Amino acid sequence: MDKIRSVIKKQIKYAVFPIVCVDHCAHIANVKFTDVAIDGEKIAQVLLHGYNCYQYDMVLLFLDAYVEAQALGCPVRFTPYSTLLGPRSTQGFDRTDEIIKAAQILMEKIKVPLFVSIKGPFTLASFLAGMQDFLKMVLKDPTHAEAVIEQALDFQTKYLERLLEVGANIFIGDPVASATVISPVVFRDFAYEPLKKLITMTKEKGALSGIHICGDTAPLIPQLDTLGADILSIEDITLNAQTLKMGGVSTTTILHGNSTAIREEVSRALQEPRLILSTSCDVPVETNPDNIKEMIGWAHEYTDN
Amino acid sequence: MKPDEIRKAVIEMDDVKTAQLVNTALKQGLAPQDILNKCLISGMKEVGELFTRKEYYVPEVLLASEAFYAGFNIVSPLIKSQPAEEKTKVIIGVVKGDIHDIGKNIVKVLIEASGYDIIDLGKDVSTERFIKAVTIEKPAVLAMSSLMITTLVHMEEVIKELIKKKMRRSIKVIVGGAPVNEEFANRIGADGYAEDAARAVKLLDKLTSG
Repeated sequence: MDKIRSVIKKQIKYAVFPIVCVDHCAHIANVKFTDVAIDGEKIAQVLLHGYNCYQYDMVLLFLDAYVEAQALGCPVRFTPYSTLLGPRSTQGFDRTDEIIKAAQILMEKIKVPLFVSIKGPFTLASFLAGMQDFLKMVLKDPTHAEAVIEQALDFQTKYLERLLEVGANIFIGDPVASATVISPVVFRDFAYEPLKKLITMTKEKGALSGIHICGDTAPLIPQLDTLGADILSIEDITLNAQTLKMGGVSTTTILHGNSTAIREEVSRALQEPRLILSTSCDVPVETNPDNIKEMIGWAHEYTDN
Repeated sequence: MKPDEIRKAVIEMDDVKTAQLVNTALKQGLAPQDILNKCLISGMKEVGELFTRKEYYVPEVLLASEAFYAGFNIVSPLIKSQPAEEKTKVIIGVVKGDIHDIGKNIVKVLIEASGYDIIDLGKDVSTERFIKAVTIEKPAVLAMSSLMITTLVHMEEVIKELIKKKMRRSIKVIVGGAPVNEEFANRIGADGYAEDAARAVKLLDKLTSG
């Protein structure tokens, strides 16, 4: 059994996966992100490069936050490092086929679990309606907000079916549903049920599911714990959650920290009884690979002793 | 109509009611400056406190901002025609490569509500645009924000450019945004960092007093 499943099943205590995504892998493979962002084979190629370089315990196929929004017609703009919603764009281009293609290639070539990142319906709805308008809508025109979330959920349900069909596990990112942005009440009324539906679908297919929410999650933990996800990726791993937590090293430390700072955070994180040692959010593109290797290496050394 | 009703309408996020009450107050002879200071600004400051205490979240602050501006847009032209006291000028913007501007917008409204003259450069602002705006407008403070860790480098770039152009001593620089912290602010040579919008106003008050 792989390490991720073993930790979930409480057979071992720790697994390691810094949230290394396509952008960083493209960077270390000297491939332009703008070329990778639209090509499934290249996505798989750079993620394999990252996996071979770091040898972590899972692979996450996270391209950028706007794959689904773009497929639903939102204009996006590719920059050398990332993808942004914006007016200078390639409109209406559906990259989900490329994600599926990349997932298929990766499934054949890696021995660790593959997770594909999808957006939580609440966050996707905010991209579709415009972030500010959507956040006002949830209080001022909840029926309209629910309709946009329903549209997002409908798309995600079909996309999820295709991903589960190829055998991928799922990581749902729902950053706009963070308690840094919305109240636990808004989370309960608008974000919870759509997440639950996607996680239930994933479980029914026997695949693993994770949730990533940035920022403040403390007031949401009681709700997040009842979603049924296998993994909870959060910034503050000292929060008391029943779901297996993932995190422990801040993105600032992985980007700017020295060896001592990284080791300190890893050692502190590994005081948790069970954990997928990870970064609190995506590893920044220009992170020195030595810092990532230090994090993984020290985790192995620390847990072996 | 009691002035406190306007303040309450802002806190309750009711833009229509705020505008109605402001018009009524003007008809009753209340001074525009008093409506602004004692009702609208006071209401928005309370909203900032509620946000800090996590009783209000981003949607609530956005709607309260709309209510604030519904009143502000009525009284503002009337105040500008009166001899106004000199306001402290602040330039604000989201750095290059980042289009996330909700946080910046919330900070902007609270700064404006606190009586500062604010110039909003918007989002995805290049270093050149920041420098050009500082050169022309000569603000007391430059406020930069970013939500993405990948774009933080541009905050440092702007500060280095201010030093290069020998403009750094005449301006205070404050930074904010989800991936920013005190340590980062110190490292890039900013004058201050604020964790949220209400604290940003307090930081501004501190940096510009005396």
